[in-house]
Amino acid sequence: RGFCVSAGPPSTRQLREAEEAAPVFQYAGKAARRKDRVFVWGFSYSGALGIPSFVKPDAGWKKPRRIQPTPYRLETEDKISSAACGYGFTLLASNTRDITKVWGMGLNKDSQLGFQRSRRDQTKGYEYVLEPSPIPLPLEKPQHTRVLQVSCGRAHSLVLTDSEGVFTMGNNSYGQCGRKVVEDEIYSGSHVIHQLKEFDSKVVQVVCGQDHSLFRTKKGSVYACGWGADGQTGLGHYNITSVPTKLHGDIAGVNIIQVSSYGDCCLAVSDEGDVFGWGNSEYLQLASVTETTQVNVPRHLPFKIGKVKEAACGGTGNIVLTEEGNVFVWGYGILGKGPNLTETAEPEMIPPSLFGWSDFSPDTRVARVRCGLSQFAALTNRGELFVWGKNLRGCLGTGRMEDQYFPWRVTVPGEVVDVACGVDHMVSMVRSF
Amino acid sequence: ELVAASVPVLADHPLVRGPLFRKLKIGAGHRLDVKASGVFVLGIGHGNKLLSDLYNCHLTKVYTVGGLFGKATDDFSDTGNLIEKTTFDHITREKLERILAVIQGTNQKALLMYSNIDMKTQEAYELAVKGLIRPMGKSPPIITAIRCLQFALPEFQLEIHCLHETQQYLRKVVHEIGLELKSSAVCTQVRRTRDGVFTVDDALPRTQWNLQSIQEAMRNCQLKVETELEKTLA
Repeated sequence: RGFCVSAGPPSTRQLREAEEAAPVFQYAGKAARRKDRVFVWGFSYSGALGIPSFVKPDAGWKKPRRIQPTPYRLETEDKISSAACGYGFTLLASNTRDITKVWGMGLNKDSQLGFQRSRRDQTKGYEYVLEPSPIPLPLEKPQHTRVLQVSCGRAHSLVLTDSEGVFTMGNNSYGQCGRKVVEDEIYSGSHVIHQLKEFDSKVVQVVCGQDHSLFRTKKGSVYACGWGADGQTGLGHYNITSVPTKLHGDIAGVNIIQVSSYGDCCLAVSDEGDVFGWGNSEYLQLASVTETTQVNVPRHLPFKIGKVKEAACGGTGNIVLTEEGNVFVWGYGILGKGPNLTETAEPEMIPPSLFGWSDFSPDTRVARVRCGLSQFAALTNRGELFVWGKNLRGCLGTGRMEDQYFPWRVTVPGEVVDVACGVDHMVSMVRSF
Repeated sequence: ELVAASVPVLADHPLVRGPLFRKLKIGAGHRLDVKASGVFVLGIGHGNKLLSDLYNCHLTKVYTVGGLFGKATDDFSDTGNLIEKTTFDHITREKLERILAVIQGTNQKALLMYSNIDMKTQEAYELAVKGLIRPMGKSPPIITAIRCLQFALPEFQLEIHCLHETQQYLRKVVHEIGLELKSSAVCTQVRRTRDGVFTVDDALPRTQWNLQSIQEAMRNCQLKVETELEKTLA
C-alpha cells in the first residue's frame, strides 16, 4: 500500500534510462595492432607441422592426428617473416636481431635442421624434430645480422642473411650445400653448417630445388650447385657441381629479378618480364623451345602473355603471374582448368573469376603465386588463399581429401600474407583482422 | 446502309452485377518479416502455379540492410532488449570491407559445396568460371555477394545478395559483423530491393493498391517471368 510498487512491463522512459545507464565495454582500442600468426596444415607424422601433440598426444585417450586437413594455428613467440617447406620438414625464420633467428621442425635425418642435441643421449641428435626448435647458426655477429630468407629442398636447407652470406646445411652427396663432396660422409647428427660468401655481389635470393641450389645476386646473375643430371644446374653439363658457379646461356647479361625451383626444373624472371627456363623438361615444361627432355643451359621461353612479374616451379607444372594480374599454367598434372587439361606446353590462362573477381569486386587480383611439388597456391590482394592440385595427404588445406581441379578458397581466419608449399604440407603467414 | 447502335445493357452495370472479383486465391512468394519491408511477390489465381516454379528457380534476392554499431540486443534488431554496449571508434571502412570479403569468401565455398555438383568434372569447372553454380535444392542461407554502400559511424548500410535466407538471418549476420570487428552491432533496417526478377520499380506502393495498377503491373512483368522460367528450368 504505497510501500511496494508492482513491476509491470518497463515503460519506454525506463527502458531508455536503463540503456543510457548501461556500462560501455571496450574490446579493442584505436591503436589495436593486427597480430601476425602462422597457420600449418598437411601431413603431421613427420613433425613438419611443428605440433607435437599430433604425433605424440599428451593424454592417453587422445589419438594421434596423421593429417591436419584445415589450417591450424602454430603458436610462435616471434614474428615469423619467412618460411619454407621442404620434403617433410619446415624452416621458419624471423627478422629479429636476437640470437635465435631460425627454427626448424620435421625430418632431420640428414641434419637439414642443423644439429638438434638429443636430451636422452647428449652425443646423438634427433632424427625427427616435432616442435619448432632453434637452429644454431655460426654467425660472426649474432646480434647484428638478420636472416632475410630461408629455403628448403629434399634433404638440405639454405639460410640467407643480410651481411654474412648464405649458410647451408643438410645432405651434400651431390654438392648441393656448396662444399666439396666427402665420400661416405654421414649426414645424420652432423654439426657441419657451411658458409658461402664469395659471389659477384650480395646474394638476395636463395632457392632450393630437389637436390640442387640456386643463388641470385643483386647484380642479377644466377649461381647454381648440386645435382645436374637433368641439367637443373644450367651450367652446360650434366655433372655434379659442388662449388656455386655462374650461369650463362640466354641469361648472360640479363638482370634476373626472381628465380624459382622445387623439383628438377628451374625458371627465372628478368626485369623486363621475360621468362627463362632450364632443367627437366620431361613434362613439357620447356617444350615450347626444345624437344629434348633435359635442358642444361638457360633458354628464353618466348611466351606472348605479357610482362611476367613472378614465376613458380613445381615438380611437373609451372605457373607465372603477369603484371596485369593474370595467372598462366603449363606442364603436366592437375593444372587448374578442370580435369580435362592434364598437359600443355604453352601457357594457359586461368580465368580471374575463379579467384574472386566479379562485377561486384572488379579490383580483386592475384598478387602472388607459389608452387609445391604437385600443388599450386595463389594469393589475392584481398588476402585470400586459393589452392589447387593433387591433395597429397591433405596438403591443400581445403578440409577434403580429394584432388582439386580448379582454384578453391582456403578458409583462414585472417588475411594471408605469404604461403610456403611443400610436398605434403603447407605453412602460411597470416595477419589477424 | 445499316448502322449498328448499341444500347447500354443494365446487366453489365457494376451495381447490378456486383464486384468483378469476389473470391481470389492469393498465394505469397518468399516470406517477408514484420519488421522488414520491400518487394513482396504475390500470385493471384492461376499465378500460384508460377509461384512454385519461381521458387524452384532459386534466384538470388537483394536486400539493403542498415546497421548501427555500439549496441547488442537479444533479437539483433534495435527494438530488442539491450544486452551490451561497446565502443566503436576503432572501426574503419577498410576493416569492414575486409570482414565483408571474408564473409563473401566463406559463402562462396558454401555455394560450391551445397550445389551438389561433382567437383571433379569439367562441367563443374565451366560453371564455376561463369559463376553459375547455385544450390538447386534445400540449403542453409548463402550470401552470394555483399558490399558496403554507406559508412558513417555509428551507422552503416550494406547491400546483400542471398539465397534461401530469412530476414532474421540477415540481422544475425549484422550482429556477427559487429562481433568480428571487436564491437557490437544491431540491425536497424532490412529492405528487400529485388526478389528474383521483380525489382522495386515493378513493385506497387501502398497508394497504388487498386485494380488498374495491379493489372498493369502484371502485364509488365509477364514477359520477364516467362523468359526467366524458360532459361532456368530448361
